[in-house]
Amino acid sequence: MAPPKEITLTIDEQKVTVPAGTTIFDAARMNGIPIPTLCHQQNETPVGVCRVCVVDVGARVYTAACIREAENNMVVKTNSDKVRGARKTLVELLMADHPSPCAREQQSGDCELETLAKSYSVGTPRFAKRLTPSHQKDESSLSIMVDHSACILCDRCIRGCSEIRHNFVIARQGKGYAAAISFDADMPMGSSSCVSCGECMVSCPTGALTNKKVLGQKLEQGATLSGISVEAQELLELPVFKGVSGTFLELNKGAVVKRTYRKGEVICHEGDYGSTAFYLVEGSVDIFISTPRAHVDTEGSQEGFLSKLASKLKPRKEHQREEENTGRKFIYIDAPVDLEYDHPVAKLHAGDLFGEMTCMNFYPRSATVVAAEDVVCLEMLRNVLDVLQKNKTFRAKLDANYRARALETHLKSVPVFASLTQDFIDHLRDRVELQRFAPGQVICHQGDPADSFYLVRIGFIKVSEDHPGGELVLSYLARGNYFGEIGLLSDEGRRTATCTALDHVEVVKIHREDFREMVGRFPQVRASLEAVARDRIEENRSRMHNLQSMPVDDFLKQGLMDAQSLLVLDLDRCTRCDQCVKACADAHDGITRLIRDGLRFENYLVATSCRQCRDPLCMVGCPVGSIRRRNSLEVIIEDWCVGCGLCANNCPYGNINLHEFPAPAGSVGHKATVKKATSCNLCYDHPEPSCVYACPHDAAHRINPPEFFGQMLGGKKIEAVPYSMAPGMMDRR
Amino acid sequence: MLIDRTHRQWLWGSVIGLAISVVIYIPYAHFTIGGARGGTMIGILYGIVGFGFMVFAGLLSLRKRFPVWRMGRTSTWMRGHLWLGLISYPIIFLHSGFSFGKGALTWWMMVIFTIVIVSGIVGAIIQHYLPKVMTREVPYETIYAEIPVIRSQLLDEADVKVAEVTGVSMSTGAVTNAAEDAGGVIVTLVQMEEDVRNELTRFYDNDLRPFLEQPGGKGCEIANRSLSVAKFANLKTLLPDEIHPVIADLESICEEKRQLDHQIVLHRILHGWLFIHAPLSLALLLMGAIHAVIALTY
Repeated sequence: MAPPKEITLTIDEQKVTVPAGTTIFDAARMNGIPIPTLCHQQNETPVGVCRVCVVDVGARVYTAACIREAENNMVVKTNSDKVRGARKTLVELLMADHPSPCAREQQSGDCELETLAKSYSVGTPRFAKRLTPSHQKDESSLSIMVDHSACILCDRCIRGCSEIRHNFVIARQGKGYAAAISFDADMPMGSSSCVSCGECMVSCPTGALTNKKVLGQKLEQGATLSGISVEAQELLELPVFKGVSGTFLELNKGAVVKRTYRKGEVICHEGDYGSTAFYLVEGSVDIFISTPRAHVDTEGSQEGFLSKLASKLKPRKEHQREEENTGRKFIYIDAPVDLEYDHPVAKLHAGDLFGEMTCMNFYPRSATVVAAEDVVCLEMLRNVLDVLQKNKTFRAKLDANYRARALETHLKSVPVFASLTQDFIDHLRDRVELQRFAPGQVICHQGDPADSFYLVRIGFIKVSEDHPGGELVLSYLARGNYFGEIGLLSDEGRRTATCTALDHVEVVKIHREDFREMVGRFPQVRASLEAVARDRIEENRSRMHNLQSMPVDDFLKQGLMDAQSLLVLDLDRCTRCDQCVKACADAHDGITRLIRDGLRFENYLVATSCRQCRDPLCMVGCPVGSIRRRNSLEVIIEDWCVGCGLCANNCPYGNINLHEFPAPAGSVGHKATVKKATSCNLCYDHPEPSCVYACPHDAAHRINPPEFFGQMLGGKKIEAVPYSMAPGMMDRR
Repeated sequence: MLIDRTHRQWLWGSVIGLAISVVIYIPYAHFTIGGARGGTMIGILYGIVGFGFMVFAGLLSLRKRFPVWRMGRTSTWMRGHLWLGLISYPIIFLHSGFSFGKGALTWWMMVIFTIVIVSGIVGAIIQHYLPKVMTREVPYETIYAEIPVIRSQLLDEADVKVAEVTGVSMSTGAVTNAAEDAGGVIVTLVQMEEDVRNELTRFYDNDLRPFLEQPGGKGCEIANRSLSVAKFANLKTLLPDEIHPVIADLESICEEKRQLDHQIVLHRILHGWLFIHAPLSLALLLMGAIHAVIALTY
């Protein structure tokens, strides 16, 4: 006999007829009888974990209405005193551990648990709060805040992520009080494969998963700035927003503004701080560096007999990059293209995104952008950009743009790849992989098998080695740098260092097979990479040796041992004549780069002047990569510095300063002066630093700290080791 | 400049050069009719050499004007200035036949030359010893041009510290909210008796503040370290324990001010002698040039 197609049951003394297989919950819902629930959502498979929807069906125990199928002639009581009492106790138990008012209750007043508690007149719970939360707050995601203490383990987010969005990121882990939701293998949400679609946040009944607005930032709109807030519906009609959660866009209304610019209008200035990215919808823009390419320099210094005589006596070699064989022809900026050094202007078109680093990492703008024609663009905050970057459609479009337009320039901008042929670049075009890493994420671990070579496209990477005393930072890599060649070229085939993303990083990954083909076909590339690998290994070895041979001393912990070159003044010889300062100013067009004050020990003064640190914190974040190290020693600031001041802020010793000089006539923008950062560059265009050369009393010395302090602390007091003779230094005499 | 073993080559070179000059001079003086004098061939030669050394010594100031020019290290020029300048004096005496000359010009030249040499030797001695003294005695040393700024900062700091304790603004005399003046930080909530508060205020107004305001602190008792220590110790006995840290801070500010005053004195000694040496050297070179022209022409 076939089962009946319909059944009849009684719910709260009301006879109802429903299709067979209907749950009690749905049967009641269809007939306008509400049953409270927390874990059940109409569009998700019911699981019956919260038990709030319990009803009395006349059995020994109450049953969860969301999962129990209705039966013919069943008598159900949904709202008896005893049932209400059971629900109240359940809610009270849940409220005992709930951080009331939770984030959702504060934001929108609609926490389902707290609403239920109010309706059941649940006051202060009788039960004790658990002593320690199982997990702390997780703020790693840019758009979703995770508060495990508000989670009631209803599993709605899990089902939303898996059943509705098919992302399968969230799951449950642990037992008892240690039970919690987790992302991938219990990773922070921001580091997991979560695509920030927002479905879990929308599904969550409490404040465990809430929308994280970008606080304190508001995109200005209105007629004065030609910007209008864009509705979610309008955004979803744009191809790039395909696949983005409409709910997320609704919740973040105001985070995307549509702006229109007339031809010639400036969209952003280089060096300005910002927090937004721009996506070009229509039109094209010119992107360039308007700051004059010059070190702090005065013009007209060649006039007059004495000046000409002076120029013969103090040779100034400008832009000595050739001797380093860097041959750097491009200036890296925060855009899909790089600017040629000799002609730093490029164009961006509809579909291009610029300002990613500024938006994600809050770095200064790396270039000036001006509308080349009438332009429509979307300006967006970080949370929206983060969602877009994780959106498959958007990523595919950006990747395609990069491969088509920027990959070739990027490869050619790296000097070691200058000899790659067009056909090989075309071959690589579709084989490289673009990978993104969140701040703090490890790209590769020391000791891992080397399976790929990486080019840095966006962001900064820390390269470090493990040693018994802790982590030793070897270098920082920015756009234009690369890593992974040592492991691939060595016999062991293992990574020799750990590479970690310092901020939001994007790398171009070249797989081992393609790398081997590249070095096989292009011997010059192989030779260059091997030379670089040798230099890096030697440098690392030298640093490890110095670290091991350094005596530990409280005084030295003031950062002196991180220095590669210190300017030290012997106060027993120094007559405080300031000739060193005058010489420095004379060598740098009136602007000194040293201050005759600083740390003192015994009769030595460590002057305030660039220390050429091993761990150059000043280099992290430069939007145009103008601060760099030369030949592993001198830290120099290239002439395209945009004067943002980030390096000056980063230097913990105050050794970098900004100076103004007049902007050339006709320069773009409203500024009459432009700022450039300056720091001691060891007068690399002379055999010896000017301060040392000009001291009349032989009191100023550039020293190698490990040698100098090591011998001093060993009890053997020596005269300062002259700069040019210090081991490990370049002897340029 | 520290005159150490790095000067040995210059020392021996100068001694040898002088010895050779003397060896030549003895027979020259013995056999020259009328005695050795500036007008003879050898006399003129001595004059040229001596004046040449003087000119080289004088060029040091020009060398220092262009410190970055690659024309030899400045320390080398300084050594040359010291030693060649020193032996130019006996060479000029050999040139003149150990006389001050017959005319007023040569007489004044020799007088000025003597003062220049003596001041130079004094200066070399000062610059040999005084840097060590300054390093030892002024651990709070700062850049000389910054001393007025530091002094002003010390005064402000002392004002704030006393205001925090007494509730009275030391710069304006107005009773203020000490917490606001201190940027919202209340250092102490100690209740002090009126006469005790007055004692601190009196000490500050009469002794400490005038000392901090005045460069040099002339006439102030606490300019003397021993007296200062005694005064602060006495003050501590009158004031509650809770504000002794503030008193210690004020004492430290005092000490720093004393050191800055001492630095000024030492700095003036270190460089003051140049006010005699430098202009007289320039005058000497000018007179020497005039003398050479006149002597050779007429």
